[in-house]
Amino acid sequence: MNALTNEVQQVFCDVFGDDGIILTEGMTADDVPGWDSLGHLNLIIALEKRFGIKFATAEISRLKEDGQNVGTLLELIARKRG
Amino acid sequence: MNVCSIEWVVCLLLLSAVFFLIPGVRERQAFLCVCNVAFVATMIPNFAGWCALAGFLGIGFIAARVLLSRPRKWILVVYLVVLLAAFIIFKRYVFAKVLLPAALFRTIVATVGWSYMLFRQIQVVVDVYQGQIERLPLWNYLNFQLNIFGFVAGPIQRYEEFREHWKDLKPILSDAESVLRAYLRIFIGAIKMGLLGGFCFNSFTTCKNLLADPDRAAQMTHLHRVLLFLVIFYTYPIYIYLNFSGYCDMIIGGASLFGIRMPENFDRPYLSRNMIEYWTRWHRTLGFWIRDYVFTPLYKAIAGHWPQKAASLAFLCYFVAFFLAGVWHGSTWNFIIFGVLNGLGSSATKLWETFLVRKVGRPGLRSYLQNASVRAAAIFITVNYACLTIYFFRPELGLSYSMVKNIFAPHL
Repeated sequence: MNALTNEVQQVFCDVFGDDGIILTEGMTADDVPGWDSLGHLNLIIALEKRFGIKFATAEISRLKEDGQNVGTLLELIARKRG
Repeated sequence: MNVCSIEWVVCLLLLSAVFFLIPGVRERQAFLCVCNVAFVATMIPNFAGWCALAGFLGIGFIAARVLLSRPRKWILVVYLVVLLAAFIIFKRYVFAKVLLPAALFRTIVATVGWSYMLFRQIQVVVDVYQGQIERLPLWNYLNFQLNIFGFVAGPIQRYEEFREHWKDLKPILSDAESVLRAYLRIFIGAIKMGLLGGFCFNSFTTCKNLLADPDRAAQMTHLHRVLLFLVIFYTYPIYIYLNFSGYCDMIIGGASLFGIRMPENFDRPYLSRNMIEYWTRWHRTLGFWIRDYVFTPLYKAIAGHWPQKAASLAFLCYFVAFFLAGVWHGSTWNFIIFGVLNGLGSSATKLWETFLVRKVGRPGLRSYLQNASVRAAAIFITVNYACLTIYFFRPELGLSYSMVKNIFAPHL
């Protein structure tokens, strides 16, 4: 697991109040209890704060679409951090 | 031109039959552009109407082009304030009539399709500001806004989805069976709108006329009046569903014949288990738009300023978002009640879920959600609540009131 995944995993644990979350790239919202629409926004806000980045409205929406997973999220964060 | 008409279907079938015989993408775009303008022209009453339309479209285009080169927040805020103020005045919202001089409303001209253009326009401008749209040619913008498929009543397509198909305009129906399916969908849409929807609407109108008339209502037994009310209460939501989903079937099926994939707008809405889920199944493109461009920025702003209070203020965000979704549908008091009920229903959903999480934890919530009896009860409550909201989905508040009053006391 690389440093970015590790950091994002910590954010997941904090937001969803579960220290047992182990992130994998194929993981989706269905695999994490509490990752509903509001949970998704809380996660985005926490990630923005942690990494000093901003997600566009369209990006936030796309991340919840079918076929999107933790891997997509990690990729987007990595791209935004440059 | 009415979508559920012989003229529309004949035009659609004839034009789609020749569309892909046109050789190049630019020529196909020009052909669709002519169709768009001709269709819109059937709904613009006069020169003033064209000027109003041009002004409305112009505001969005100018704002987007300015934001492309200078993405400043204040420009976006000024644009949104001006646009929404203009929209409220042009749509003649009742609360605006209370606050502003009557003379103002006599001089303005509103045109068909404004409500949907508003959503498309805000989406484009916000996405430009946030760097999600990097180029916006006037040609694309105008055809996106005036797109014959979705101009009158949606579905609310996003610019990037439109551009994806518009840039190529190639067939998306890969074989003869797909084409037949598209024809079948148009046919089913026409049946839903014209036949089944028409039957429900006639039943509703007959019962409504009987119950709204105090003299006729007084001659009936109480049970008869209650039954009439129940027919009104349930047939109107069925009619609205058949009419709107049938319209969407005709639009989505028709667009696919021209190489444009429109987003789906319905997914068995009356099987939703709460009002938040309902708005992801009923008029989905509106529900998603409201989520993305009202709820998300509102909640993010609150969470940014008051992180400790964000969780409790989330209910307020749900209320505001779905209240606006309701109010957008019409300019009279009835639609304000419709908005309030939708706002209350979605906030209550989130409050209930939060209560359950506190009481039984996430694993408990999961088994609660998987319980078949709970699911059936939740669907029953939601469908009845949705019918209650749709009871106010008509312009006349007096009629909604008098029908309820006449059940109990028609003489009063």
